[in-house]
Amino acid sequence: MRKSWTRALTSGLVLAMLVGCAGNNGGGGGANAGGDGQGGNEAGVTKFSISMRTLNVSYVEKNPDINKDKYVLELEKMTNTDLDIRLIPHNEYQDKMVQMFATNDIPDVVQGTGGISGPELAGAVENGVFLPLNDLLQEHGQDLLKFIPEEAWKRMTDSKTGNIYGIPEILSNPSRRATWIRTDLLEKVGKEIPTTVEETMEVLRAFKEAGVEQPYAGRQNFKYADTFFGAYDVLGYLNQFKVFPDGQVKPTFFDEENMKQAIQIYKTMHEEGLISKEFATIESADFKSIVTSGKAGMWSMNANELPIWGTQLKENVPDAKVALIPSPVGPDGKGGYAHYNPVTRSFFINAKAKDKAEDIVKFFNWMVSEDAELFFSFGIEGEDYQVTDGKPVFEVPTDAAGADKMRYLNYWLWLVQDTTYNKRVSELSDSGKELIDAFDNMLSTEGRRGIEFDPRLEAMVKYPELNPKSDELPPLILEHVLRMVYGREPIDNYGKVLEEYLSKGGKEIIEEATKRYNEKENAFE
Amino acid sequence: MAEPNKAAVSPILDGRLDKRRKLLGFMWKYRALYFISLPGLLFFALFKYVPLMGSVIAFQNYNLFAGVTGSPWVGLEHFGRMFQHYDFLKILRNTLLLGTYDILFAFTAPIVLALLLNEVRQVVYKKIVQTIFYAPHFLSWVIVSGIFVGILSPSSGIVNVVLGWFGIEPIYFLGEDSYIRTVLVGSGLWRDVGWGTIIYLAALAGINPDLYEASEIDGAGRWRQTLSITLPALLPVITILFLLKIGDFMDYGFERVFVFQNPLNIQSSEILDTYIYKAGLQQLQYSYATAIGVFKSVVGLFLIAIANTISKKATGESLY
Repeated sequence: MRKSWTRALTSGLVLAMLVGCAGNNGGGGGANAGGDGQGGNEAGVTKFSISMRTLNVSYVEKNPDINKDKYVLELEKMTNTDLDIRLIPHNEYQDKMVQMFATNDIPDVVQGTGGISGPELAGAVENGVFLPLNDLLQEHGQDLLKFIPEEAWKRMTDSKTGNIYGIPEILSNPSRRATWIRTDLLEKVGKEIPTTVEETMEVLRAFKEAGVEQPYAGRQNFKYADTFFGAYDVLGYLNQFKVFPDGQVKPTFFDEENMKQAIQIYKTMHEEGLISKEFATIESADFKSIVTSGKAGMWSMNANELPIWGTQLKENVPDAKVALIPSPVGPDGKGGYAHYNPVTRSFFINAKAKDKAEDIVKFFNWMVSEDAELFFSFGIEGEDYQVTDGKPVFEVPTDAAGADKMRYLNYWLWLVQDTTYNKRVSELSDSGKELIDAFDNMLSTEGRRGIEFDPRLEAMVKYPELNPKSDELPPLILEHVLRMVYGREPIDNYGKVLEEYLSKGGKEIIEEATKRYNEKENAFE
Repeated sequence: MAEPNKAAVSPILDGRLDKRRKLLGFMWKYRALYFISLPGLLFFALFKYVPLMGSVIAFQNYNLFAGVTGSPWVGLEHFGRMFQHYDFLKILRNTLLLGTYDILFAFTAPIVLALLLNEVRQVVYKKIVQTIFYAPHFLSWVIVSGIFVGILSPSSGIVNVVLGWFGIEPIYFLGEDSYIRTVLVGSGLWRDVGWGTIIYLAALAGINPDLYEASEIDGAGRWRQTLSITLPALLPVITILFLLKIGDFMDYGFERVFVFQNPLNIQSSEILDTYIYKAGLQQLQYSYATAIGVFKSVVGLFLIAIANTISKKATGESLY
């Protein structure tokens, strides 16, 4: 009796396991079938899958099924497509993308970031995963070719073969970060808007005296707190190489004199309490709350956040007034932040989806049309906006949910556009108009542009400690600079730091950079 | 006539056949048990041993698209690169130091706590204390680091407020090489000490109360009872857990260190795990990262084998 029970139980267990495995296989197979999707042309509808990073857009992250979202459905109707959007979590983007390539479960369209050699693509372009698009664009993407500037196309082109591998979304004004200041505090202390580093320091000291907790809001690794490195032109990021008088191409932090001065400024700020004593551990969320709770007098942030951060600050501190000002200038009379890559997102077509590539290119071509601009700016006609006298009438939402939705439409779902700012929406509000003004008249004239190598220098990949991020100094340099700011190492040691950099592989980096720059091999200026 | 001949020719073969028959008979007798163990064996084969073969990429220049079969072999190049790395000794030292501290404090603390809890006679009070102690285990490291950054903050953290009462200047704990290991071990202790007591408490519950009664009659006090009854009874559990811990000696864990790291404390906090993440996963050098991982595992295997042998000889307790 007992024996038969055990037997029944074990066979049950094994059966359950087998069924479970089979179920898994079935699921995987199903997903694959969907991915490969054999064209599926029912009534001329183009069916294709696309992977997209969520970009921290809460509307997307909170959505139970983005493929059933009404704006996605509307988009499908307008473009005669059937999208299968596969979301990739923002914070695990690189890992998940690499996983996708490793398991060979690649959708018909893959969204990348920047050019053709980003780390998230894991070398897919070189390994022939994607389709060269030159002919298709000539035939079906004329509007794209007209809309997207040469500079951005170059980033999508393999300089050796001349093949274009992706369709870029662009940032026409690469100077995206700005210096922000609380003008109400400026009035309070009776100061003018500062223009030079010295004037800025005076203003920060006055803020300190007036009781502002953090006159200049600092942040871990000088992320969004690099105003003064910018003023002295020593940002040293991935796209901040320059030609030095000796003819070599080096990272800008090799400008020893200016670097020392910039470090001294931060050190002084730290000593005088003009920046938080613990800025080395302040993360992005803390940073935002410091600013929006009114504890900061001056800081740096992306200019296009002005309407949102401004509103949140006013909610907490009703008297607060905030403005974007020209960044303080250094000895060369210039200032600002590192320029961004002109490509913000890019879309690659899977070589296996060759038979529908034509329709996919048409879909992207539609993105730069008048219809698309109206839809992605305002939403669905009759629901989100009305048309009276042939003109669209739209009210900018003021609540958080409305703002979320707008961010989703304007920024996330609109796949190919100029992402500097949304013109149609910005024109409708005061803070939006300020924003347009700042971008067009101020930011466009400032910022630091250097030489960038894409794909990255091989020597850099070999020495992770010397490899800067898009907006952080290389770990080795950053470590010493922070020590100097915190007074644990004399600034005079900086020359030795550069020697250390050279001896630990920096020599190779500079040799390779100089060579590639001289040979114009995927070097961008 | 044929029979003795046969026996003369192959007594060994016969013996073997006999043995095999015996084994099969034995297996048949316990067929249900063998059958039950199949899913478990399959599980280990599929999810533990098959992935182990992935370690071969440590000897290749692995290309994601070419796969294991298509990637070129490079022998021990990645291991050489690792040993030659200018910071290798520093990173190894940090790893070993943190591992040692972890054994000294994070391993012994649950034992002490369990013994203390065991002395508490009020059941309700004991349960409450126990729950408070093991609740932090369910927090992720990101949250734990958030809490510690908060309480250790030089401007607003409670620790520095208390230090202020004694006239001590605020200390930027997370911004100093000299404090970071203490913070790392301390936060780990806070998070996991209660969780670690569970298994000891279970072992303590298994001790026969007669032993205590008898010792009391013999005139033993609490302290004597702990030394002569409780600790010896716990020893087997402690030994086994210690051996397991030795196997993880180099595995301090990536996340718990990474969330506390910043350029001001990196000299003391960079360990193999965080280096693997940065060099391997962020820069996509899979082969290099795997080589470091393999090195770590091999060292762990050696340590566990040595400790096991020593323990077997000294205490009679062992893992295998």
